Amino acid sequence: MWKNIPDIMNILLSLILISLASCASPDTYYDPNMDFAAVKTVAVMPFANLTNDKQAGERVRDVFTNILLSTGEIYALPPGEVARGFLRAGIADPTAPSAEEIVKLAGITRVDAVFTGVLREYGEIRSGTASGNIISLSLQMIEAQTGKVVWTASSTKGGIRMRDRLFGTGGKPMNDVTEEAVNDILKKLFQ
Amino acid sequence: MSGSGADEKQIHIAVLPLDNMSRTAAPLKEIRQLLLDGLRQQGIAVLNEEILESFMLRHRLRYTGSINMMEAQTLKEETGAEAVLITSLELYDEIYPPKVALMSRLVSTGDNQIILWMDSIGLAGDDSPGILGLGLIKDPQTLLKKALQHLTGSLTGYLSDNREVAIEKGRRKFKPKISYQSPVIASDMKYTIAVIPLFNRSGRKYAGDIMMLHFVKHLRAFKYFNVIEPGIVRQSLLRWRVIMYEGLSLANTDLIFGRLDADLILTGMVMDYQDYHGFSIKPKVVFSTQLIERKSREVVWSSNSNNKGDDGVFFFDWGSVNMTHTMASQMVRSVVEMIAE
Repeated sequence: MWKNIPDIMNILLSLILISLASCASPDTYYDPNMDFAAVKTVAVMPFANLTNDKQAGERVRDVFTNILLSTGEIYALPPGEVARGFLRAGIADPTAPSAEEIVKLAGITRVDAVFTGVLREYGEIRSGTASGNIISLSLQMIEAQTGKVVWTASSTKGGIRMRDRLFGTGGKPMNDVTEEAVNDILKKLFQ
Repeated sequence: MSGSGADEKQIHIAVLPLDNMSRTAAPLKEIRQLLLDGLRQQGIAVLNEEILESFMLRHRLRYTGSINMMEAQTLKEETGAEAVLITSLELYDEIYPPKVALMSRLVSTGDNQIILWMDSIGLAGDDSPGILGLGLIKDPQTLLKKALQHLTGSLTGYLSDNREVAIEKGRRKFKPKISYQSPVIASDMKYTIAVIPLFNRSGRKYAGDIMMLHFVKHLRAFKYFNVIEPGIVRQSLLRWRVIMYEGLSLANTDLIFGRLDADLILTGMVMDYQDYHGFSIKPKVVFSTQLIERKSREVVWSSNSNNKGDDGVFFFDWGSVNMTHTMASQMVRSVVEMIAE
């Protein structure tokens, strides 16, 4: 048994190293050449909604815009102005604009960057008799002058907790879960 | 404009037919008749019905949720009415427990339309059940009369003693969950504010207009704000064909600022405005608010509010809110208090 200790140590060390590596955030991308401090004004485009709730994209976009403004770091244009911008720029699909379309939009709205997003999950999930609310969201920041993606991040929050299964509490309210996810994503932007 | 005794000349008030925002077939004429009877009992001089009907027919006055400048001027010239009472029925539900919500405002006629008085009431039959359910109101008519009594009493208080409408301070649980305030707004200045109907993304028809009226009512209560009568705002939006695609653009806001000479525009979005029938479900309201300032053309206030009627309720429904109207009013009050801070 004593002869196997070095092998056991090697295995343990390997496991520790693998765990530490998995703690890194693989869902966040930063362009190393981008000066994020120069981004003062942004446009938040309508989010692509892959969920069954038709209003989900707008709800999450609304929460995101408000939280972004509340940080005091970045000014987000009112949604009506963003809409005017993408209508005038002739952007066919505002949830997935091309690089040229972004540059054109920036010329009209005078923003430094544009946020686009994809809402993958939004709403209630069930597991047996337990239920909870879940959100899964990914965002991209696109630099307005070049149309290049300079930052991406994603977050999944909510779900069914142990106490929801045990006590049938129904999970956190959807808006709370949404705010958690947005705050999580913004932490990844401002870190 | 307020009279303070029987000897003083009373102002004649034209009481417009109710604007039905309840989405149900409510007995509007009966409700209006009860309102008229209540006003007359309080000694308020109401414009003769035939004169008003004839005026409305002559000038094709169909929309009774507000009155524009031209209509107000003509009303005064042709009928002598010095003010017009505009009442909106937000909710009327006879299913037990019955519910009723009304919003009413008095607007001066003539060259300058000013909101002289504004109040609202939302009542549910199970608001105060009391011991053994003795406080439950089962009859919709009784509830309706109680609501109208509140409004007529409030109006009489204003006309006789210039009494301000008593508004409950906003409760902490109804504060916005997210908020942003720019230091651009000075706390010692008076701002003229135009309130635009909130962009309605809820399933509830007229939710945007209802929220607008809540904001008008609460903003008026603060001396920092001179609120433009919604009828004038509506007239401007129609006249200049302002179309809100996902909200107001800055080009639209420039137009509104210039034409209405406003310093601030309040707009926003309603995501949820849920009334309910019966007992079991609690109301839910979710909305966001934005305040745009004229000189900077920037958003100087932004907030997101969301609440359910049973928020912060742990014991036997104590503190629970049964009416969407009441909850929305409290939420708006909290937003306005934070803006005015």
